[in-house]
Amino acid sequence: MNLRRSVDVALKDLMRYTRSLFVLGMMFAAPLMIAGLIYFAFSGLGGGDGGFQLPVTRLQVVNLDQPSAQYGGFSAGQVLVEFLQTEQLADLLETTVAEDEASARAAVEGQEADVAVIIPAALSASAFTAGGGARITLYQDPTLTIGPAIVKALIANFLDGFSGSQITAGVTAEMLAERGLQADSNTTQAMAAQYADWAQQMGQERASGPQPWLEVQAPPRSAAPTNQLADLAGKIMAGQLIFFSFYTAAASAQSIITEEEQKTLARLFTTPTPRTAILAGKFIATFVMVLGQAVVLAVASALLFRIRWGQPTTVALVTLGLVAVSTGFGLFLMSFAKTSQQAGLMMGAVLTVLGMAGGLFSAGMDVMPRAFETVALLTPHGWVMRGWKLSLGGAGPGQVLLPVAVVLVMGIVFFALGALSFRRRLA
Amino acid sequence: MRIIDLAWKDLSQILRDRKVAALLVLMPIGFTIFFSMLFGGGGGEADPRLPIGWVDHDVGSAQPPLLQLLESSDAVRPVVLDDQEAQTAAEQVRDGKLAAVVTVPAGFARSLWVERPVTLQVIVDENSAAGQTARNAIDVAVARLIGAVESARLSAEAFEAQAGFADDAARQAYQEEALGLAVDAWQDPPFTLAVEQATAAAGKGQEGFDGNAQASPGLLVQFAIWSLIMSGSTVVVERTSGAMQRLLTTPIQRWQIVAGHALGIFLLTFAQELLLLAFGQFALGVDYLRQPLAVLLVALGLALWVVSLGMLIGALAKTDNHVTVYSLLAMFLFTGLGGAWFPLEGTGAAFQAIGRLTPTYWAMRGFQNVIVRGLGLNSVLLPVGILVAYAVPFFALAVWRFRFE
Repeated sequence: MNLRRSVDVALKDLMRYTRSLFVLGMMFAAPLMIAGLIYFAFSGLGGGDGGFQLPVTRLQVVNLDQPSAQYGGFSAGQVLVEFLQTEQLADLLETTVAEDEASARAAVEGQEADVAVIIPAALSASAFTAGGGARITLYQDPTLTIGPAIVKALIANFLDGFSGSQITAGVTAEMLAERGLQADSNTTQAMAAQYADWAQQMGQERASGPQPWLEVQAPPRSAAPTNQLADLAGKIMAGQLIFFSFYTAAASAQSIITEEEQKTLARLFTTPTPRTAILAGKFIATFVMVLGQAVVLAVASALLFRIRWGQPTTVALVTLGLVAVSTGFGLFLMSFAKTSQQAGLMMGAVLTVLGMAGGLFSAGMDVMPRAFETVALLTPHGWVMRGWKLSLGGAGPGQVLLPVAVVLVMGIVFFALGALSFRRRLA
Repeated sequence: MRIIDLAWKDLSQILRDRKVAALLVLMPIGFTIFFSMLFGGGGGEADPRLPIGWVDHDVGSAQPPLLQLLESSDAVRPVVLDDQEAQTAAEQVRDGKLAAVVTVPAGFARSLWVERPVTLQVIVDENSAAGQTARNAIDVAVARLIGAVESARLSAEAFEAQAGFADDAARQAYQEEALGLAVDAWQDPPFTLAVEQATAAAGKGQEGFDGNAQASPGLLVQFAIWSLIMSGSTVVVERTSGAMQRLLTTPIQRWQIVAGHALGIFLLTFAQELLLLAFGQFALGVDYLRQPLAVLLVALGLALWVVSLGMLIGALAKTDNHVTVYSLLAMFLFTGLGGAWFPLEGTGAAFQAIGRLTPTYWAMRGFQNVIVRGLGLNSVLLPVGILVAYAVPFFALAVWRFRFE
């Protein structure tokens, strides 16, 4: 009989929620919108291959290199400029040749260019001088990181060829000297040239195929990897799913306070419905709401963002843990609020704090400092996130038992504390 | 005077609850520290380079040349794994504890001198940015190692041409020594790239992007909007409790009610901004004080826009819950799009274009023009102008939709 009454209370709550466009928007539209926003941020509109779209870096290059007739008019600077202007790099770089160093620097300072590359006058000469060396300057907008890093990697790779030639000549001179022999300039130049030819050949091999010295494997995961963007979207969506599940659970539990304020709870107490039945009804409504939300969001995001959530049993276990802990926590959190105003504030503050600490908003970051991982595991959010990450990585049910067990226990404890507090309050 | 009274009433209503006051202060500061560590890759780890595992099955020298080359990388730092750790190395990559693992097979060092060396095994998640960075760093180190081997080989040929080797063992000993010299030389290569930051700040730095310069203004912008949960709700509470109707029976004008609430939100927002600016300056070392007037102007412009947003939320929301949700949504939307959470640089072209249309982008740009680019007062005039320009239609909309009953 009491169960019937609890179900009636739950149905009434559920009906009220499902009639509210606002509640539905918060449950489904908001998490999808935020995850979509970040997905959109890193996919670009044209990223049809599921990969990241790297930004095009506006590059100004100044070639001050002075080629010398002594070395057959060879200009290392010109080779570098042509390299930076090649068609292959057109998706990454928008290269413009600047007239002089001052104008290139001014372009970066005026935010008309992202990076300026200044090739020194003695680049070619240094390449042919024993013990020579040179330094190319990369002048960048200090707010940028990705574009300058790409340019830096390209130029460093280019310069390694010259460095290798000089190192070859230097090592040979030193080794011969140690053995009482002398390397004349012709010998060292010839060796540097041989090394340069070898490096050019190796560079072409590396550009045309995989590194022959490396056997690269992906870390173990039971599920076939989708793509870079879907991987990121999965982690971000998991974060949003957790955040809004906790929000929904707390908002649903808040109905006790709202009903208290509106005096409908007092009216309910005049009926033969026990307080435990009312609380159980509230719990059922919250549980069903959060479960429905989790299922809809998981399916919708799988379709929208091509997320593979993992093995069905694993997903079911993690979802169960999420629903249980968020429902229990919602009741626990609301037991501290005396008015609906306080409840709203608590939701905004506590859920944001725990969400941040639990790693929900930094889910897309690859390597987190260990301190953050420790902090995350002090929160229920962190444990649920751990479960979802494992599931997204293709873990089997056995591998998520620990996080699921932890959140189930947390859920039971939170629920017991919350229910106890409300029972006392409503007595 | 009535406007000030009303603003004062709003402020005292919000701040009399100590928990609320603490939230307004502690939450933004806590999160600024959190994100500052996140962007800076801190968290107590002094070396910000990505950790990669090193598993050596080769019986070679105490300091293998490849390990030496990896240690000199500015992107990764090798962590030597013992046998027990090596067994879980792949899982550590999967879980994000290591960016990659390099396993050196037995006989690798010896095989460097034959045409096809034994391949190194690398476990890396190339779907992640950290994995890609680690993979590039490993590629560079391996290429330099192979280059060093080639240098040693060419050197041996030069020696052979002049003196000749007694036997293969002598040749091998020569090559090994030359390899050591070449690897040492790669620690400080002769052709290098110097990175200079285009900043007008004192002492043009060689340092990279400071995470605090993103986290501090970013969180300031975020929490200016977030605090509308509290300040925006005063308008709703006044309306739903009937206090506003009672207020209308007094000689106060309707515009004065709107202005009073707006002033309350403004004072709260601006005070919070000043607090976070001071925290950024003195605790995080973000140099806001290098152009205090410019920074204050940006903070003022941001506060004006936030006030207009808060009034709009107060006008549209029917309950406290609505205020919380609208404020959170506005916070997520504007801070995400405007580059307050992550620099827009890494996002797609369309996202960047949309992001630049948000007021939060201009607030970030104003702050970063001063603290990162080291520019002066002139550099913030456009961002501040745009922030004020945004405040006008938001405020007009709020006044239009404002309900007194």
